[in-house]
This record gives sequence, structure tokens and C-alpha cells, in this order.
Amino acid sequence: MKNIISFALLQIACSFTFLPVSQNSALELQGNGGNLIETTCKKTPFYNLCVSTLQSDPRGSSADVAGLARIGADKVKEKATATLGQITGLLTGAKDPKLKMALRDCVDYYNAIIKYDVPVAIEAIAKGNPKFGVQSLNDAANEADACERKFQNQPKFPISDSNKVVHDLSAVVASIVQLLL
Amino acid sequence: MVDTNPFLQASVSDGSDPIGPQVTRRKPIKEQLSIFFGLLAVGLCVAFLIGNNISDNAHEHENECGSLASLNSMKPELLRPVSRGPAAGVSEKSNRFFAKVDGTFPAYPWNNSMLSWQRTAFHFQPEKNWMNDPNGPLFYKGWYHFFYQYNPNAAVWGDIVWGHAVSKDLIHWLHLPLAMVADQWYDKNGVWTGSATILHDGKIIMLYTGSTAEAVQVQNLAYPADHSDPLLIHWVKYPGNPVLVPPPGIDNKDFRDPTTAWLTSEGKWRVTIGSKINKTGIALIYDTKDFINYEMLDGLLHAVPGTGMWECVDFFPVSETEENGLDTSINGPGVKHVVKVSLDDERHDYYAIGTYLEKNGTWIPDQPEIDVGIGIRYDYGIFYAAKTFYDQNKKRRVLWGWIGESDSEAADTQKGWASLQSIPRTILFDQKTGTNLLQWPVEEIESLRLKRNEFNQVKVQAGSVVPLNVASATQLDIIAEFEIDKEALERATGSNVTFSCRTSGGAAERGALGPFGLLVLADERLCERTPVYFYIAKGSHGNLNTFFCNDQSRSSAASDVDKQIYGNFVPVLKDETLSLRILVDHSIIESFAQGGRTVITSRVYPTRAIYGAAKVFLFNNATEASVTASLKIWEMNSAFIRSYPRHQKF
Repeated sequence: MKNIISFALLQIACSFTFLPVSQNSALELQGNGGNLIETTCKKTPFYNLCVSTLQSDPRGSSADVAGLARIGADKVKEKATATLGQITGLLTGAKDPKLKMALRDCVDYYNAIIKYDVPVAIEAIAKGNPKFGVQSLNDAANEADACERKFQNQPKFPISDSNKVVHDLSAVVASIVQLLL
Repeated sequence: MVDTNPFLQASVSDGSDPIGPQVTRRKPIKEQLSIFFGLLAVGLCVAFLIGNNISDNAHEHENECGSLASLNSMKPELLRPVSRGPAAGVSEKSNRFFAKVDGTFPAYPWNNSMLSWQRTAFHFQPEKNWMNDPNGPLFYKGWYHFFYQYNPNAAVWGDIVWGHAVSKDLIHWLHLPLAMVADQWYDKNGVWTGSATILHDGKIIMLYTGSTAEAVQVQNLAYPADHSDPLLIHWVKYPGNPVLVPPPGIDNKDFRDPTTAWLTSEGKWRVTIGSKINKTGIALIYDTKDFINYEMLDGLLHAVPGTGMWECVDFFPVSETEENGLDTSINGPGVKHVVKVSLDDERHDYYAIGTYLEKNGTWIPDQPEIDVGIGIRYDYGIFYAAKTFYDQNKKRRVLWGWIGESDSEAADTQKGWASLQSIPRTILFDQKTGTNLLQWPVEEIESLRLKRNEFNQVKVQAGSVVPLNVASATQLDIIAEFEIDKEALERATGSNVTFSCRTSGGAAERGALGPFGLLVLADERLCERTPVYFYIAKGSHGNLNTFFCNDQSRSSAASDVDKQIYGNFVPVLKDETLSLRILVDHSIIESFAQGGRTVITSRVYPTRAIYGAAKVFLFNNATEASVTASLKIWEMNSAFIRSYPRHQKF
């Protein structure tokens, strides 16, 4: 009997010890950054994309909102650069003149995103004039839209998925920069 | 409506006609029949294709062009100036309705012809690249000076420095070298917005915001290197800069855009700088004797919760009784003070009129429900970071405003420039309403007027469009007055429905008493047009509310430009006729209602209504009321803005 009671008490003591520890580890893993990413992403139009993008960057867990915006802008540039690569690849193989025209226009739009929209956003965030960042990132989303519209009369839109990511991510980061106003 | 059927029907009926008389020989019959049917098949295919093509074109045109909803513009008599009587605004065929543009058109391929048309003829803009806020405007030794935020490297914001230009008349500008560049640690990340103050001895100082190498916003002092140079080419930065850093409790990135200073009763200079605490916009206030050492006052000039960061704060007196401007330091009876802020959160400029309490450096709005940031805007279109200065030359207060682009950055970088300044406007207290300021283009703009076209007492029936015979319609100064049919005004039934330009159907949405006004930058077939118009709404108690709007929804076939409808309520007093003034200058339209009580600036980017194809029309899309319009339309000369000619290399 005594043994059972002491064993039970030991069990209870152990469970109380381990319970908070396991909770603590979970919190430690997330860090403050984890919560900030989630609360910030809730204010953007594409929560899941926002969370996965920001969490995929090592800076994400310790960044403040401006830092998250910076990460987001970097990711937009990364995705846009990759998509531009796809477009130029398609361009070299394309024969149909209408397809080539649409692809060339998309090259222009993506150049605008990479050369102008993202650098302006990064500068605006860093220097504390975020409104120019909001405008630029909204423009980036519009450029992606414009590219998609070019393919309206084409049988298919070969970069549809990556174009959508660029569009949606730009909209997400624009919302984050908006929080800095 | 193009009838596509004849082609198809003809071939079909041909095909269904019985074949010709029987031929006796068998083998040749088979050959002939096969040849015949072969040709018929080819003919059918061709006809089908042609028919489809035509129906496609007709379909497109129906969606793009034609009259305003329920309006008809089929062959009305072209109205010539100095009218020979009422216009023949005929309505012949049935109404044509088409849906609002919803962006399903392919993004327009901008060609160089369309893009180069967009550059203005008489609005201030640098030769290329990006511009934003107006800075330090002043008049000195016979010249008006204008400085501005400028990016020397691209047609987008960045690498900001101070551009500089001079003019004798606020219209004909000559570009000078950059006044200040980012060459010190305290402005390394940007030589941002600032204002000029003219001291007792006539000397000038400039206070401006620098974004330091660490991206902290600080205030710096600069002054002309040589006060005897009327062109003020070279500027010196005070070696002890910065003179102000963000005070405790204020974020490093929420401290910018110092104003022109004004004198206190103790003989000190007083300056205000916008900021925010959480979401409350505030204006910090400082006193100084030398612009080097400052004491921050305990209180704030003013604060309004929920308005966010206050950029480009402006603070100035207006006379309640006189029709002239006042020096920034004036105070006393018959004087009210205006606080103006640029709201970072929404990119709009707001002002409010109130009383300045000099003792503790605070200001109280006359009507707190239309306090600054929640009440009246300078401009209901694109207009931001505005700044006034007192022009001691002509004793007027003059307003500058930054007009950004509303097209895509891809187009901006393709055309190589972005942004304009508004035509400078005089500011006067509106004695009739007591709540508004009146803005009006400076009178010097009239020196650009060339040919005048006059149209008197033109009756525009409900549901009609009247073309105006103006030779060249891309550079215009239009002054118009409208009288609405009084009977229709009384007869119209009122309703509870609230009207807003922004959420309305634009000029295509018909009411009993509106919309009516002008169509500018419109091509002959009205495929593209920008209506600038009044809309009168009658409330359920019979009260009339007048709205003034700019409708961009069909301003361009391009889909990558802004298509919003801008506008607002405009106070119209009893016995006032409805009046408007419109400056059309390529891709900018500045429109003023009731003498400048409500103002709207738009940027439009037509693809067809450009060069010689641009026209101007009167229109009345009301269902019941006819209007009578009298207009003067001047074709405007260019201001030939260019580099200062005799300038030596520095």
C-alpha cells in the first residue's frame, strides 16, 4: 500500500515536472518571433503563404515587423528572379510570335519588379518612409497581374503557379509594410 | 450595330439552293459536283471566318466605345464657337448600355508615341526621373525658387536629393543644378523635405529633414552660400548639424518635414514638426532664436487620434476679410490659422481652420467634427505633401502639391520619368462658407492662353452629348458655368440614398438632376473619355446636395492604370451658379468647382484620345433636367520648361 501511494505520488510529481518543461520547449522553439509572424500574417491577405515564407527564413524568428517586411521583400525578389528565369527559358524555345510577344511583355513586368519595385520597398522600409514601400509592392502585384492578362488569348499560361506566388507574396508584403506606417 | 448575318446567310442560302439542271453525262457530273461542293465548302469556311471576325470587332466596339449609358452621340451637330443658338443635341437611335470596365482588357502595349504624349506642356517637372515633395518654395531678389525631392538615378523613389528651379512668374521654370545632395552622415540616407524661412534682414535659412547613416530622422540647417546670388545656386550645410534629433518618446522614424518658422510675441522663431504617438498624429512645437538651439514646448500644436503619422505639416494665417495672403508671422483680429497635414496612412492632404493660441503654442479647430485629418481635403484626387509659402512679391499665399503617377512603375521606367507638381494655387479663406479655403491657379497661368473659343447659353438636353469645336484639346483652360432647369429641380423626388462619387457608377449612372459637365481627353467616338461633372442629389426633405466628380473608369483602354472615380460634396450657396474651371495638360487634369472650394486632380493615360484625336464635349446624362452651359475654352501654350540657359559649369 505504502509503495503504491509513494509510487503514485512520484508519478504525479513527475508529470507536473515534465508538463511545464515540454510546454517551455515548445515555446522556446517558436520564440517570440513565431508569435509575431503569426499575428503579422493574420493581417495579410494570404496567411498560409505569409507564414510559410517568413518561417522559411532563419531571420524570421527574431525579426521585428520591419525585419519581417525586409524578409518578405527579399523573398519577392527571389521568387520573381526565378520566375523571370522561367520566362526567358520559355522565350528561347518559343516559336509562335504571339506567345513570344506575351513572354517579352512579362519580361518587362518582371524586370520592373526586380529592378525597381523590390529595391524601392527595401529602401523605404530601411529609411523609415514606408509609404513608398506599400506603393511599390502593390505595383509588383499589379505587374504580375499584367503578365497574366497578356496570356488571356493564349491556350495556356505556362508560369501560372509561380506568377501567382509572386502576386500573392507581393500583396502580403505590402500589407506588412502598411503596418509600419 | 453591324449586321454580320448577310455574309453567312448569303452563302447558306446559296448552299441550300437547288443545284442546277441535270447534266446527261455521268462521269463529268461527279467531277463537276465535287469541284462545286469543294468550292462551296471553301466559300463557306471563308465566309464564316470573315463573319466571325466582324462580329468580334463589333462586339469589342460595343463594349469599349459609344455613348454614355442611355446617351446617344450619333451625329449631333458639331458645336462651333460663338454659337448660333442652342445646340442640336439630338437623340435618334435607342440607348446603348455597356458594363463598367472591369480590367478584363489585356494590359495595353504602351508605345513611345503614347508615352511621350503623357509629358505635360506647362506643369513643373524635371527633364527626367522621379520627383516627389515640394521643398522650400520662396521668392527672393526677383525670382521664385522651387526645390523638390528628386531621384537623379531612376524614375522611382530613392537616393533622394534636392532639385532646384527658378522662375519669374511661377509658370516658366528654368532648371538649375541640384541644391543639396546626400554628402553628410546626417543626410546620407536622404535629403528629405524642408521649408524656408526669410529672416528680418532678408536672409534665408532652410530647415530640412535628413535621414542619417543609421536611418534616424533629424533636422538640419542650411543656408545660401552667397546671398548676393539671386539664383541661390550653392547651399551650405551648418557644420554643427543636426540641430534637432527625435525627442524622448518619439520614434527615430517618426520625425520629419519641419515647417517655415513664424515669430512669437517674444521675438523668437517658432517651428512645428509632424510625428505620431501610436495612431495619434501630432505636431511637435519648438522655439528658437538662432535656428541652432531649440526649446521644445511642453504641449503640442495639435493632435488628432486615429489619423496616424503627420507628414509635411503646414501652419499659416489667413485673413477673414481681405483678399490677399498673410506673412506666416501675422496674428491678430480678423486672422484665422490653418493647420494642414499629409496623412501617411492614406496619402491624402487635409486642412482645418481654427484659432492659434500664441501663449502656449496650441491651436484649436473651429469645428472639431471636421478637425484636421478627418475633415476637408485640399484635393479629392492625387495631391500630396503640399506646402504653402507667403509670396511677398504679390502679397499672396501660394500652394504647391505633389502629383504622383497612377499608372504602373513599368510604364514609368519605360517613359523615363514620374510625377508632376500642381500649377501653384493661391489660397484664400472662403468668406462665404467659413469652413473652406479657396484654391485657384495663379493668375500668371493666363499668360499661356492662346486662342479663345466661346460658347454661350448652350442648352444640353437630358441624355445628350454635345461636341465642342476646339481645334486642339490636350492643352486647355476651361471656364464653365451651368444653369440647371429650375422646374426639374423642384419636380425631382428626393430620397434618403446617400451619394458618393467614389462608389457611384460614374458618369454613366443617371440621376434626375445629374451627372452633367464636360468630357475631356475624349476621342471622337467616346471610346476613351474623362468626365468632369456635377451631380445634384435631392434629399428626402427637399434639400439639394451637389457633388463634384472626376470619372476615370473609361479614361483609357489600358487596364494597368487607375480607374477610380474621385470627388466630393461641394458646398453651393443659394443663388450661386454652378461653376467650374478645368486645366487639361496631357496626362493631368486639375479641376476646380465653385471658385476652388472643392478641387480634384487626376492623372489620365489615354491610348487613343491623344494628340489630334483628343476632343472635348459637353454632356448631360440626367434623366430629367436639361442644363444650359456657357463656356470659355482657351488653347494653352507650352511653358517651355528647360535648363537655365546661361548657366556655367560648377
